[in-house]
Amino acid sequence: MIQVSKKSALLKQALPAILLFLFSLLLFSCKSNSGNATTEETNIDTTITGTVTAELTVAPNVPKPITYTSPKKVIVQLETIEKVMPISDSSEYTFWTFGGHVPGNFIRVRQGDLVDFTLKNSPDSKMSHSIDLHAVIGPGGGADATATAPGQSTHFQFRAMHPGLYVYHCATGPVPLHIANGMYGLILVEPQGGLPKVDREYYIMQGDFYTKGKYNAPGLQDFDETKALAEDPDYVLFNGRVRSTTGPNALQAKVGETVRLFVGNGGPNLVSSFHPIGQIFTKVYMEGGTEVSHDVQTTLIPAGGAAIVEMKMQVPEVINLVDHSIFRAFNKGAIAQIKVTGNENPSIYQKLK
Amino acid sequence: MKFFLTILIMTAFFSAVDAQKEAVVFENKMEVVPGGNYQPFFVTKSNKPITVAAFKMDEHAVTNLEFLEFVKANPEWRRSKVNRLFADTNYLRQWKSDLEIGEKNKNIYHSPVVNVSWFAAEAYCKWKHKRLPTIAEWELAAKGTAKNIKFKSLTDYILDWYRKPNLPVLPNVKSTYQNQYGLYDMNGLIWEWTFNFNSFIASNDSRGSDEDELKNFCAGGALNVADKSDYATFLRFSYRGSLKGNYCIANLGFRCAQNLN
Repeated sequence: MIQVSKKSALLKQALPAILLFLFSLLLFSCKSNSGNATTEETNIDTTITGTVTAELTVAPNVPKPITYTSPKKVIVQLETIEKVMPISDSSEYTFWTFGGHVPGNFIRVRQGDLVDFTLKNSPDSKMSHSIDLHAVIGPGGGADATATAPGQSTHFQFRAMHPGLYVYHCATGPVPLHIANGMYGLILVEPQGGLPKVDREYYIMQGDFYTKGKYNAPGLQDFDETKALAEDPDYVLFNGRVRSTTGPNALQAKVGETVRLFVGNGGPNLVSSFHPIGQIFTKVYMEGGTEVSHDVQTTLIPAGGAAIVEMKMQVPEVINLVDHSIFRAFNKGAIAQIKVTGNENPSIYQKLK
Repeated sequence: MKFFLTILIMTAFFSAVDAQKEAVVFENKMEVVPGGNYQPFFVTKSNKPITVAAFKMDEHAVTNLEFLEFVKANPEWRRSKVNRLFADTNYLRQWKSDLEIGEKNKNIYHSPVVNVSWFAAEAYCKWKHKRLPTIAEWELAAKGTAKNIKFKSLTDYILDWYRKPNLPVLPNVKSTYQNQYGLYDMNGLIWEWTFNFNSFIASNDSRGSDEDELKNFCAGGALNVADKSDYATFLRFSYRGSLKGNYCIANLGFRCAQNLN
């Protein structure tokens, strides 16, 4: 009796240690798993075979997934364009853009690709512009090679070394002004095996804007340097305009589909608390990198950062995508929508009398 | 009667066929800009304040008609003959031909000549026994107090111009404001070449450390900038920094300077 109780006491003492050992084993295996998921660095000696021209799309559209399986030379040509466009129903703003839209064209390449990049500045531009792609390893992310006067072009090449979703932006001084005027976009570097197949992919990018007049004040609005320095925006927008992606312009999906969003934040100032009202992110590629988190309600997207999020559409609804710093959504425009159509699914959700 | 009729017909003929010949070249008076101290926008060990001696400057930017005289007198600067090293393919593209601005472009006769390279601008000034102003001279001249602008400050005025896309037809010289030195349109009409347009990031430090830091001004921000909130000047320096001597750009022209003696 005494012996047995002694034994069990021993076991009791040892149990935490054993549990800790098992737990750490589990942790370790998890870590090594995700270690496999994160990238091996691109082997830069791999031969480049063939040349393709990158498909560039305007938000909310995303280029088709990449189908080739070995590194290629990818030609990318972007044009900087200064353009007056509506920022809300009654206000206009002189946007500075990549490709004539805010955000700029979506670029999609594959890890290992050699990107041959030309930046053209429209002859109608008043300003010089340049580009810093966060996917570039090299001086200024390309800015050093791309100070481009109106009507001129600049040219450089880089190797897409690491997979992920990266912001690009203009890096001509004063940089904050160029970014505040809308000069940003996203470049996706697909991992070598590609991303898992989904039913739909969309492109959304947040940005904050500072105008002399208040939110929705009529007419062409000037940039307000004082408000920008105080980080006190009049507009916090998805895709460069109030209601760019709501109502008739809402993103579309069907019950049963998986939707992937490539979400960027151009800033210049604010960090986004990106949240889908009435949904849960089944997957978040955190900060646009290779670590995947599951079952997330709200994910932080830093200024000059991005995230890839996925959702399974379960019931018909309108999902409001918001910056959950919620005054921004209610008063400053930070709402986009996904309209989900299909059959009701009462086992998941039903309204009761 | 017959005499007058002839005159009338002649006038009609000339104005229809060659309004260019009839057009009177605006006199480009030179104004004195007092000397002063110029604090470079990018501050480095080697970029010390510069003492600028008083100098003379064209009261307005060189116009298309003025530049046409130069091209007529210097055949090597004709559009079809110019060396590509000295002027890119946009050189004088707003003109009808080598020696014609063109009847349908008569609304730009007195507009600043644009699409001219640094080399062309410098050659023009030499031909006039003048020279291009240095950055320090240009910036000092542009600091002159503006008369009659409807803005809180000159900076607001400049930023307002920067904000607007290029106009389809470039307005005449003297169409914006005049400053205390008598100079017209120092801002609000075009960008202007300066003699040392791209030298502000150069360094005398042979190790290149200053230069390396400054090269990053585009990307890295404003570490070495005299006044970080002076966006108007910042934009002007970024513009200059992106230029090469043979560039010909639709909103870039010039005016000449001259030593007092």
